[in-house]
This record gives sequence, structure tokens and C-alpha cells, in this order.
Amino acid sequence: MGSALPLHWLHADAPSAAPALRSLQQTLRALWGLQAPVLIDGEVPHLAAGSIHLPRTAPAGFADLPWQRAAAAHAAAHLVYSPAVFDGRGLRPMVRALVGVLEDARVETLAGRELPGLPRWWRPLHTVVPADGEGVETLLLRLARALADPAYDDPHPWVRKGRALFFLDARGEVLAEPRAESLREIASRLGHDLGQMRLQFNAKGYLPGPGYRDDHRWMWPSGADDRADAAPATPPPGRSADDPPPSPEGEPHPEWDRLIARLRPAWCRVREQRDEASVDAAITLPQAPSPAALRRAVAAGPARGPWRAEHEGERLDLDALLRARIARRARLPLDARLHRGRSHGRLFGHALLLIDQSASTSTPWAEGGRDQLQAACTLAWQAAQALAAVGLRTAIAGFASNGRHAVHWQSVQAFGEPLDRRAGARLAALRSGGSTRLGAALRHATRQLACHRGGEQLVLVFSDALAHDIDVHDPRYLAEDARHAARHAVRRGQRLACIAPDGAQAGAARAIFGAAQVAVVERLDALPGALRRLLG
Amino acid sequence: MDAHRIRSEPYYQSVADEVALFEAAYARRLPLLLKGPTGCGKTRFVEHMAWRLGKPLVTVACHEDLSAADLVGRWLLDADGTRWQDGPLAQAARHGALCYLDELVEARADTTVVIHPLADTRRVLPLAACNELLAAHPDFALVVSYNPGPLAREMKPSTRQRFCALEFRHPAPEAEATIVAREAGVGLDVAAAIVAFGVRTRRLQGHGLDEGASTRMLVHAAVLAAQGVATRRACRMAVVDALSDEPGVYEALLGALDASF
Repeated sequence: MGSALPLHWLHADAPSAAPALRSLQQTLRALWGLQAPVLIDGEVPHLAAGSIHLPRTAPAGFADLPWQRAAAAHAAAHLVYSPAVFDGRGLRPMVRALVGVLEDARVETLAGRELPGLPRWWRPLHTVVPADGEGVETLLLRLARALADPAYDDPHPWVRKGRALFFLDARGEVLAEPRAESLREIASRLGHDLGQMRLQFNAKGYLPGPGYRDDHRWMWPSGADDRADAAPATPPPGRSADDPPPSPEGEPHPEWDRLIARLRPAWCRVREQRDEASVDAAITLPQAPSPAALRRAVAAGPARGPWRAEHEGERLDLDALLRARIARRARLPLDARLHRGRSHGRLFGHALLLIDQSASTSTPWAEGGRDQLQAACTLAWQAAQALAAVGLRTAIAGFASNGRHAVHWQSVQAFGEPLDRRAGARLAALRSGGSTRLGAALRHATRQLACHRGGEQLVLVFSDALAHDIDVHDPRYLAEDARHAARHAVRRGQRLACIAPDGAQAGAARAIFGAAQVAVVERLDALPGALRRLLG
Repeated sequence: MDAHRIRSEPYYQSVADEVALFEAAYARRLPLLLKGPTGCGKTRFVEHMAWRLGKPLVTVACHEDLSAADLVGRWLLDADGTRWQDGPLAQAARHGALCYLDELVEARADTTVVIHPLADTRRVLPLAACNELLAAHPDFALVVSYNPGPLAREMKPSTRQRFCALEFRHPAPEAEATIVAREAGVGLDVAAAIVAFGVRTRRLQGHGLDEGASTRMLVHAAVLAAQGVATRRACRMAVVDALSDEPGVYEALLGALDASF
């Protein structure tokens, strides 16, 4: 079994598939409110640890996306309608397989009742026909099709009997046994009949079919241990030099080489990852000393003062017109600025908060017995909440590097996700380690922002901006690269700002972002003032 | 004020005790804040209550270019010189109407403070520009609405604390289906299917969508269905295509639509 890749990792080699699968996860959320992650990990569809695992491609003859959509919806139907496990004690392998077929049909029937369009996703994937034979596996497939598709008429008496036992009506709408626990009885009777037919069943090689259906490893946990797997733990952001060389995964980004004064194309690779293992950890979400003050500071950023009178504009200022008219009648001097300037201050757009996780962030912060990373996480959380409260969509990510092929990007909160306890737990799980390849992280951040249209695009970096990495020995190289990345982003209309944790070290940040775009925050209560200045 | 009177009863289906609470608050002229998502029936409720109480209703849709003068009034010029023109708030206060400020937080902060003297025991509106202190008519009452969504602006505590609040949510699916069926003139089964799809879109709120489908949107879909458009196509036109342009969310909504019909 290959390692499970979160969907956004597909980006490197399947740019067209990744967004579609991400929207599939959203579809499952819409249909049932499910939050189950959908992962791509190679072999057969299966459910493990509450996640839906899908193969990278559909079997020959089927288009990938509709097939994956059907597989995900079927697995999701188990999560919604099936019990957590089945009691397999005393059941022969054949009866277990039959319980599986019946349970698949039961959840699809229930799902189809709630969502009448779903059977259209599944029925075309049943392709077995009577001519395919009368072995046990084929009969199970034929039974599965007979239970899924009322238009399919199978001549085999055993299949007909199975259908008659399963449904009370000919149209296949009324379940004889609506409860999963009652399926054993039907399965035992059908299994007994198969036994009477002296048919051989290869339990070890059996996989439930058709192929879009999961492999039932969740149903029989005691018998599924050998195949059970779980989403892999995400690698730590800082890898040691002894780790095996990284494979060429991740999103490529160029890097500015100051000596040749050119961008080296696809020089760095940013690997996105997400720590789902820690989302259930008990944490205390950082609370701003005065959330309202912070929100006001952010909202007040681009001054929301009175309208500016302008000589030109799209809208006339009625009061200015009246003043001008009165002045004219009174033969007083006119103020010809009769238009309203654009009212500033309506914050709208996207903000990405980027936290430096490099090893240097383990040094103590000025206030309160915490290190710089913990401080940055607290500040980022509070800033994100304030920005979200005034109307920006936010995302939070950490970054650290271990050479140009391994710039680790730890996604804490993606755009569109809530700033909830899970995001807080991911944030709290960030650890110091590795180096600071700031330019690659900035390019990745600005590329992510560029995918979102409309409004302001802001990258707020929490870092001392001392760029360095294990494979670079020229102290100016990465600083120049970061400066290049920052300037390029500004030219594209994106705003970059940096909150530095230590005033004594802020020179590097000022050189990269510009003095006006850097604020030093050495106390928690200095954050509102810093944001007001940076966003003003 | 006759132009502001509501002649026939606007349809409103009560979902809890909001009608009685509004009447109690109006009896003592307490200002009311209606909170709730877009298109859940706040404005219709106010229209219904104005009709029920037999009072004129002055409605102002607030926006960030709304100035204090737009609400209170201003001097205008005519052939004979200047004359004072009451703004909608002053008009309502002078003649005893219900004044409904829709989406108050969208107005600029310096605009919202003009309602403060009207929203406490003083019940006056200072018209500084014409040197008048307008005492509100005994029938005058102030109602504002506010959609506390993820993108909503904060309402200042000094404004918020002047109001009693009524919270509105999307009605329960059965009640919402009844409303959609009644508003659009479709059968309850069609309305129920449309509402079930609407409920699914609301699960994406905060996950790509700022807000799911409003009751108003679902009524639009049902109206199209009543016009003979296939229900699925009507939902796509009135809900999916209208809700989002973001490709990922749009595909997810299409998937949910495909599964729902």
C-alpha cells in the first residue's frame, strides 16, 4: 500500500484532478455534513480511521472522476448509515461476504431514498451479466447488481431469491430488513444455498465488487488487522541531514540567484502537508487580550475617515454640490471638488498568515516565558481572528526547510476553513526545526493567494526573516532571493508585511520587506498597534 | 406617510413567538435588532408587523456610502432659496412610522451614531443643520437588521446595547417547505425537495461558501419550477449558479445538485 497523499499533494503530477477531488470532499460535506478526509492512496477504495481512501485511477473502461465520485459516495454512505463495526463472531467467510454485499445494497438504498440522483452514479458501474458465469464471486456480483438496479433482471434462481429476501416489493424500494444487524439472517440463508450448490469460495482472494465499493475492512475489525492502515503521520517540518534524499515531489518554485542575476526555474520544491494527527489534542486556544480592540485596529487600518472630496470621480457628493451652489449665489469662492473619493477601509479579500518554524524560533521571546514560535502562533491566531472578523478570508501555514528540495509547508488553516479548534490544534502542534528558505515560502504563499480573485491579497509573515538553509553558504543569497520574491509580489499588487519577534534582529526583515512593512512585536498587547500600522 | 402604508397583508409564517415579542417591544417602543442570515425573512417580518400594527413603514437599505445627512435630512436649493428636506429617519420620527434600517452595520460608523438619541429613552433626533431637536412621534419605533455572517462587520457595543434583539434562523425544513410552496405556488413535494437541496448547500457555509442558499433563493427556484422549468434546472439557475463562482465550490454544489434530483 502506498503512502496516503492528502488531496492537495496531487497538484504536482495531476493538476487537473486535484481541484476536482477537493470539490468531491466538499460534495460529501454538502450531502451529509461529512467531514471525512478523502485521500488518494493507490489500490482499492477503502475506509480506514474515518477517512475515505481512493485509488488514483479508475479501472480500465471507466472515467476517473465519475468513478471516484461514485466510490467516495458509496464509502460515505457507509459512514452515514452503517454501524461502526459488525459482529462477525460465528460467521463463515462466505456469510461475511454476503453480509457485506447486503450491507452495501442497504446503504445505497437508504442513500438513494434521501438523494434520488445517487443511483445514477452507481448503476452504470455494475457491468456483470449472466454470461459471466456462476462461480461464487460472479454470483455475488450478480446479486449486488440485482439489488442495486431494478431494471436488471437476473435469471439465476439464487440471485432472484436474494432479491426477494432483501426487498419486500418488486420495485426494490422497501427493505425487508432495514437494520444492518438483521442482515445476518438473510446472509445465512443465502450462504446455506451456496453451500448446497457445492461452490468453492476463495475467502482470502475475495474483494467485494464492483470495484467502486470499498473492501469492507472496517466491517470486521478483528479480521482486518492485517490490512488495516491509517493515514500516515505527517513528517516533521525539520528533517535531519541523515534522512533519505527527498523524492522530487512538491510544488516547484524558482529561486533568484544574485550572482547570475537570474531566476533559476523550478529550483525549490515546496511540500504541503497537514498534521491531522493532532487535531483532537486538548488545547487552549489563544485569546487576544482585547479581541474587539484588535478587530478595531484591523478594521481601522485603511483609515475609514470622512469622504475625501475629489475633483474627479464616479459619484457626486450631494453636500459638496449644495455648498458650491450656495457659494455661487453668495458670490463666494467655489470649492470645485464635488466628487466623493473612494471610501477607504472596506477590507475585503484574502490574508495568508505565514509562520516561520525554523530552528531559530525556539529562542525565548521577550515576554512571558514562551519561545518565538509559540509567540508567533499566538499572534497569528489572534491576527487571523481579527482579520476574519472584519471580512477577510484567512489561511494560516507554517514553513521550514531542509534544503531546496524540501521546503515544508504545514497547512494549519486553508482558505474557506473555519478558525476552529481543529485549526487551533494544528497550530499548537507546530514545532521548531529546520531552516528558513523564505523566498520559496513567499512564492508559494503569493501563488496560493493569486488563486483567489477579488479584494486585497495580504501575506503577513511572522519571522525574523533571517534567511538561511543547509545547502546555501552565501549569507546574502537567500536574503536577496526573499527580497526578489517580495518585490515581485508587490508588483503584482499583493501586500506583504512582516511581524518580527525581536527588535534587535529586525534589520533583515526591513531589508526584505521594506521598513514600512515591518513591525516589531515583543509583547502581546503590541499586536493591535502593529497591525494598525502595517495595514494602514 | 400614506405612501408608506402597507395595504395588504404580507405573507409571513411565524416560526416561534416572534410576533408576540415584536408586539410587546412595540407596545413600549423598545428599539429592535433583527439578527439572521440573508434571505431568511427579516424584511418580510417587519413588513408583516407594520401591516399588523397599522403603521407606515419607512425602509432604508444601509450601505457604506450612506451619510448621516442621507438619514437625517439636508438643506436643498430651489428658486426661492433653501429649504429643509427631512431624511427618511426624520420623516419616520416626525410622523410616527416604523423606521427599518436594513443591514445597519453596512453603514459607516459615524452614520450609525445618529440613531443613538432615538434609540434610548430620549427619543429625540437632533437636526443640527436646521437647529431643531425633533421629538419622536409617540408611534415611532426603530427596527434595524443585522446579518452576523462570517464577513459581517462588527456592530459597536454603544449601538448594539440600545436594542432588544430577535434572532432569526432558517426555518425548520418542514416549515421552510411550507413557505416555499406557499410563496411559489408549487406542490409541497417539489418544495420539500428544493428545501432539502438548500439545506445541503448550507453545510458548505464556512467551507467555501459565506452563506448557503437563503429561503429567498429557494423560493426563486420554486417559482421557476412553477413556470415549468425542471426542478433540477431551476435549482441550478436560482441556487448553484447564483451562489458561487469559485470553481471548487461550484463543482461541489453541482455534485450535490446531481445527487439530490
